[in-house]
Amino acid sequence: MPISTQLLRPVRFGFILLTFIVALLVNLAPWQAALAGLTPDFVALMIVYWALHQPRRIGVGWAFALGLLMDVADANYLGQHALAYSLIAYATLARQRQFALFPFWQQALVTLMLLLASQAVMLLVRLAIGDSFPGPGYFAGPLIAAVLWTPLSNLMLMHQRKPVSDEL
Amino acid sequence: MHANQPAFFKQGPKPLTRLMIFSALSFILLVSDAKLHLMDKLRQQLSVLVYPLQWLATTPVDAVLRAGDFMTRQTQLIAENRRLNDERLKASADAMRVKALEAEVAQLRALTASAPHAVGRQELVKILYNGRDPYSARLIVDKGSNAGVAGGQIVIDHRGVAGQVIRVHPLTSEVRLISDRNHLVPVMVERNQLRTIVYGMGRNQPLQVRYMPPNVDIREGDILSTSGIDGLYPAGLPVARVSKVERQNGSAFARIFCEPLAHFEQHNYLLAISGPAERAPYPESASAPAEAPRKTH
Repeated sequence: MPISTQLLRPVRFGFILLTFIVALLVNLAPWQAALAGLTPDFVALMIVYWALHQPRRIGVGWAFALGLLMDVADANYLGQHALAYSLIAYATLARQRQFALFPFWQQALVTLMLLLASQAVMLLVRLAIGDSFPGPGYFAGPLIAAVLWTPLSNLMLMHQRKPVSDEL
Repeated sequence: MHANQPAFFKQGPKPLTRLMIFSALSFILLVSDAKLHLMDKLRQQLSVLVYPLQWLATTPVDAVLRAGDFMTRQTQLIAENRRLNDERLKASADAMRVKALEAEVAQLRALTASAPHAVGRQELVKILYNGRDPYSARLIVDKGSNAGVAGGQIVIDHRGVAGQVIRVHPLTSEVRLISDRNHLVPVMVERNQLRTIVYGMGRNQPLQVRYMPPNVDIREGDILSTSGIDGLYPAGLPVARVSKVERQNGSAFARIFCEPLAHFEQHNYLLAISGPAERAPYPESASAPAEAPRKTH
């Protein structure tokens, strides 16, 4: 019996960890300042992706822990990224059943809203602490992330779409 | 009934419950970090966890750059060597003069019995990366308390002051640049010794000298160097060059814009130096007139 190529293979936990580590690396890369905040927040993007595809494994707790790491690495106030990431992880999980059935371009729109919400939460936190608005360029990252969503999802699913041999 | 559920249904608390727990935790962390400054221990431990990632994020780029260095041509090396030798000769001539002056100053200071003007310990640090945070101008550097870097040290490059170490982890530390918003450096105009303060205005924004009257004697091209009266910055380090002076009729103050002299965007290494020695305690206010014996007839 042939198995459909669309039937996805299970994801190993090591793979999820690896993607998070790569996302952290990209966020910490030394050219971030030169790009003036235009790079999307890849850790947030990965949290949305995995909360969507593996809701039983990646949830609010992981988002919180990754947020804390980002806060320390970025010399922010502790809890800023943690709060924003926990919120978007919850928002993804709350509508996960619907969200997973959308075509890629609609998923990209939802991701855009989620990442904008995460930036807005961080902005509110910083305004409450007493910083000033860093300019509209601050919201450019999520737009680029939304454009990247479809190729990125396809790339990540490639790992799961490898055809399995028919023999049982 | 709960006990009979198959393992598949056991997922722990609901996402909403988790969100409540973790967002409450985040709020607690935010308040205790931003307002109460209680979280330094936790931050230090987490920073050790993050260090391998920081190392990994910067090392490959370095390796490529270093490979590029390896391919440098012999002629370039010889030319550079010659240039460096010339510079060293010039610098050593300057250094000799400085030594003579230092001896003279030490003698004069001994005469007036004031505090010595010694340079503290120095530490060469390497920039790991700029923070992603658009709200602040900070750098993460690769030495921490294990290497002897201490909070409050001044960070300079070969042109001028770059910033100040504000937080020290075991393996890394955070440097607040002088362009960080509301970072203040007490400075002196080198041309006429006018003392003032230069304000950081945010990442990639020019520095400003604020609250000076419109007729203040500051011109374009003036060099501002640290005045040393704050007890944090050693005196005489160049900080910024005045790039534009606006004197408008309508405003009570001149708008003076400056460019930082240090180019922290361009190279990898900075020097962390300790501040000046502890200064004499401030005299108690109005103690002298009160204790002075009154003349009575």
